Amino acid sequence: MTSYLARRAGQMVLTLFLIVTLTFFLVQAQPGDYATFYSLNPDIPAEAREQIKASFGLDKPLWQQYLVHMKNTFTGNFGVSFGHYPRPVMEVLAERLPRTVVLFLSATAVSFYVGFFLGKAIAWRRGGVLEYAATISGATLFTAFTPAFALMMIWIFAFKLGWLPVGKFLDPLIWRGAEVSANHVFSYMLATAAVFIAFAFLTLLAARKLGRLGTGRMPFLVIAGGAAVIPIVWAFTGVGYLALDILRHMILPIATLTLISFAGTMLLTRNSMLETMREDYVMAARAKGLPEKVVRDRHAARNALLPVITSLVYSLIFAIDGSVIIEGVFSWPGTGMTLLEAVRSEDLPLVMGSMVFIGLFSLLAHVIVDVLYVYLDPRIRYQ
Amino acid sequence: MPMTTADTEPVLKVVDLSLSYLTRQGPLQAVQSVSFELGRGQSLGLVGESGCGKTSIANCLMRLLPDNGRLTSGQILLDGQDLVPLSEEEMRHFRWGQMAMVFQAAMNALDPVYRVGQQVVEAIEAHGVEVTTAGARERVARLFRMVGLDPQLMERYPHEFSGGMRQRAVIAMALACDPSVIIADEPTTALDVIVQDRLLRELKGVQRELSMSMIYISHDIGVVAEVTDRIGVMYAGRLVELGDTADVFGAPMHPYTAALMSSFPSISGEKHELETLPGEPPNLANPPAGCPFHPRCAYATEECREEFPAQVQRGSRWTACWHPLTDMAGVGQ
Amino acid sequence: MIERPPNQPPPAGEGVSLFGDAPEIDLSRGRVDLTLVRLRMAWRTLRDGWAVFVESRIGVLSLAIIAVFALMAFSHPILMATVWEPDVYDPVTGYAFDRFDHPAPPNWRHPLGTDSLGRDILSQLLFSAKSEFILGITAALVTVGIATTVGAVAAYYGGLVDSLLMRLADLIIALPGISLLIVLSALFNLNLFYLALIIGVLGGFGGTAIILKSQALSIRVKPYIEAARAAGGSHFHVIFVHIIPNLLPLSLLYMMFTVTGAIFAEAVLSFLGLLDIRMSWGIMIHTANVGGYLLSGANYWWLVIPAGASITLLCSAFYLVGRALDEVVNPRLRRHDG
Ligand SMILES: Nc1ncnc2c1ncn2[C@@H]1O[C@H](COP(=O)(O)OP(=O)(O)O)[C@@H](O)[C@H]1O
Ligand code: SF4
Ligand SMILES: [Mg+2]
Repeated sequence: MTSYLARRAGQMVLTLFLIVTLTFFLVQAQPGDYATFYSLNPDIPAEAREQIKASFGLDKPLWQQYLVHMKNTFTGNFGVSFGHYPRPVMEVLAERLPRTVVLFLSATAVSFYVGFFLGKAIAWRRGGVLEYAATISGATLFTAFTPAFALMMIWIFAFKLGWLPVGKFLDPLIWRGAEVSANHVFSYMLATAAVFIAFAFLTLLAARKLGRLGTGRMPFLVIAGGAAVIPIVWAFTGVGYLALDILRHMILPIATLTLISFAGTMLLTRNSMLETMREDYVMAARAKGLPEKVVRDRHAARNALLPVITSLVYSLIFAIDGSVIIEGVFSWPGTGMTLLEAVRSEDLPLVMGSMVFIGLFSLLAHVIVDVLYVYLDPRIRYQ
Repeated sequence: MPMTTADTEPVLKVVDLSLSYLTRQGPLQAVQSVSFELGRGQSLGLVGESGCGKTSIANCLMRLLPDNGRLTSGQILLDGQDLVPLSEEEMRHFRWGQMAMVFQAAMNALDPVYRVGQQVVEAIEAHGVEVTTAGARERVARLFRMVGLDPQLMERYPHEFSGGMRQRAVIAMALACDPSVIIADEPTTALDVIVQDRLLRELKGVQRELSMSMIYISHDIGVVAEVTDRIGVMYAGRLVELGDTADVFGAPMHPYTAALMSSFPSISGEKHELETLPGEPPNLANPPAGCPFHPRCAYATEECREEFPAQVQRGSRWTACWHPLTDMAGVGQ
Repeated sequence: MIERPPNQPPPAGEGVSLFGDAPEIDLSRGRVDLTLVRLRMAWRTLRDGWAVFVESRIGVLSLAIIAVFALMAFSHPILMATVWEPDVYDPVTGYAFDRFDHPAPPNWRHPLGTDSLGRDILSQLLFSAKSEFILGITAALVTVGIATTVGAVAAYYGGLVDSLLMRLADLIIALPGISLLIVLSALFNLNLFYLALIIGVLGGFGGTAIILKSQALSIRVKPYIEAARAAGGSHFHVIFVHIIPNLLPLSLLYMMFTVTGAIFAEAVLSFLGLLDIRMSWGIMIHTANVGGYLLSGANYWWLVIPAGASITLLCSAFYLVGRALDEVVNPRLRRHDG
């Protein structure tokens, strides 16, 4: 197991190295060079230009520039943004990354759960109405033209029904006169979410340790109780209404990203389930007189999960692309929208910085999937 | 050697069982009008070439046919209770509790993601045989010892087991809920000869010890002869001969039984000529008219080609053949 | 527990070999003979595969949808040459002089209305269909060309070549494609052809290569490959004459997915206004969006719905055909065996 993880980790580092190299050569290959880009930008004062040139090694030969680029990237120095001058690229990205992470993680978790649940259901009852309905609507959502679909969601829920805000991160009217910054509130929201997840996880863990005593509704009631405490605590902070505003802005993008990405997991699960359902151990489970639900969930679906986890990487990458598009459409100021803005305003340092961040993000997805797989498959865990 | 069980009511009685599979080429009649009885504490062997419907019968007894399998007629009476009309939920309680199975591919009958012991515990808990987890685990340890496995192995995963160990674990699993009938479908086929031999003897021993009834399925007539009291020979979905193992072996009545026996080295030590059976078993989607064996039978006549043979009864045994080989030896009356 | 009947031929489309497993090669027979045998077997496999394919209602429906779009693509030049005056109906430079209220709602002369610049929507829609096919098919051909070669070469030579190619593939699939294309659009002027090329190359060296390699591995160990080597066939000969043709059915499947990806990527990038393309479904929506018509709700539906629905429909159709083909080449997914 350790050798497996070590090998994978080695590959990751290599991949990261290649991504950084790739970004360097892409910039080199594009018409015009980095130096001119900087020197053409009127926002940058002449004296700063020289300094920038030096920090990128733009006056040195190519191979030295490459080394400087490597060093800069790995130390998190992506230069100064044109569009947000004089803020460094790193600072802009660091501010926006958490927003993307929240959007991405919540949507991924929900869509994975829904996709897996539906996938196993339609495989178990093949040929039913549910199969046709889920396959067609799933595939349609999966291949739906994401921007148009996102706009449709906005139109329905924000314009027609007026339930949710149209886009953006917050409503300036509500925030006028607020004493705290949005980032501040948002980081407290993140902390709350983290604490809650840890609480839920520990509850479930404890329930499992307790054995039969801990089964049934009990752990879920405890978790629900924990969830109920959250609004009460926030009510005392005095900025609860601001958090609520951010929350309201989050719903639509997360829902949209979930809807476009659940089908991938669903269709994968279905295929994987169809294969495990033919396995002898599933028949054995049924022969043992286990209840239908136990056969389906504990045996067929549990094994069907393994290939789904392996392909989870692809679903995650699909979702990364999806969140870039959705951030753009909803004006959700995360890494994806930063990339789009940067591309539109030809803010090259920010483009490259976002690219590296998004690349890192997908690498991280790989690592998480690997660890998850090792955890789920005893054949690798106990080698 | 055979136990006489004629005086007690059979534990399992199969009456006129027929089943077919829906396939692209049309229905495939995998089992046709099969009837037999299994006495209490008795073991019955089913033999026949691969594809003759043995596994189908086994699965059908457990009501575990694949999606495209259809039970077209028949009764499965377990202790007088017909299993055929039962709902899936009612059937669940008969499975394993009353009738358990040792699977053909034991290699794959264990779920790779759970500990082996846990998979036995699961069955015990599902049927409420033991109420506490500790009790269930104690029971599994006992079963493991009974089949010659170290109870410590409960905590291991299937991939850490050798083929023989897995097969033992699967047998322990089958015994978990004290079933009255065990169906063993080629339990040793995938193992090497030595392991196979030891396991066979142990299986036989356990069955005797717990005085369970057993249906033992194999394509290898030699193996079946070793462990069973009675033997049924199948050909192309039909039962063609049924009788006490010693009788059938002493003097096969059906030409197919005789051919099967001569294709395997005799267990009694005397070497038969290894005469292989010419031809192939028929296509079940389109079986030949009359006796399905006629294209390969040396004794086939016009009659055989036209009509399925009537049963010829001789005491406790019978065969379905127009020209039974009675003259080969004085068939036991 | 399901065994294959020993006395029946394997079911239609078993395995993925378009040409069947090549028969024992009789070296005294000429090449022509072998080609004939292969063609006959290919025909049989295709016919059997088709029989499985038509069992999937969704697959057939999707194929019909693709056919409709193909008809649309072909009808555009015909309409332009016959009933549509270029001044009015040109998808890019036309202007509907007959109306003043652009974007005009559907009417007799313009069945799907006009856009805010006074151009006929139907004409744009049909014209774009053609571009999408060109884009999708070019990308798919590039992908398949590269992926079969990479897969076959990696499987055939193994060793260092194999590891290098597979690491490259790992790298490519670790990258989010749309984001990468967005970055590339910032650096280069992407037109339809470059876009197709980039998507094709990424696909060809990426995931498709991995899948085709594992397929090629199972072909490499077949006896006829040994026979071809023994008969003095060069590496090149074995790879291109014996391995690659056997990879084609599976690559056909992945072509479908590449087409979906290419059309989708083009639409997204066009919508974001990042491509150097004159007209496409994505551009139609982009134009509507820039004009602020998108959020005016159903009032200007003809600016969005036809183009949006076309993107979704054609993408789904290719995707679902791919999935139906999956059931043909991968018998384990089928409902019955036998
Ligand atoms: N699920 C199935 N669908 C179609 N045909 C099947 C299926 N299962 C078994 N068969 C066919 O039914 C016949 C009997 O099979 P089986 O009961 O497995 O025989 P055995 O166990 O004696 O080898 C064979 O011809 C086999 O091909
Ligand atoms: S009935 Fe005829 S064909 Fe069939 S086994 Fe008997 S003799 Fe042979
Ligand atoms: Mg069998």
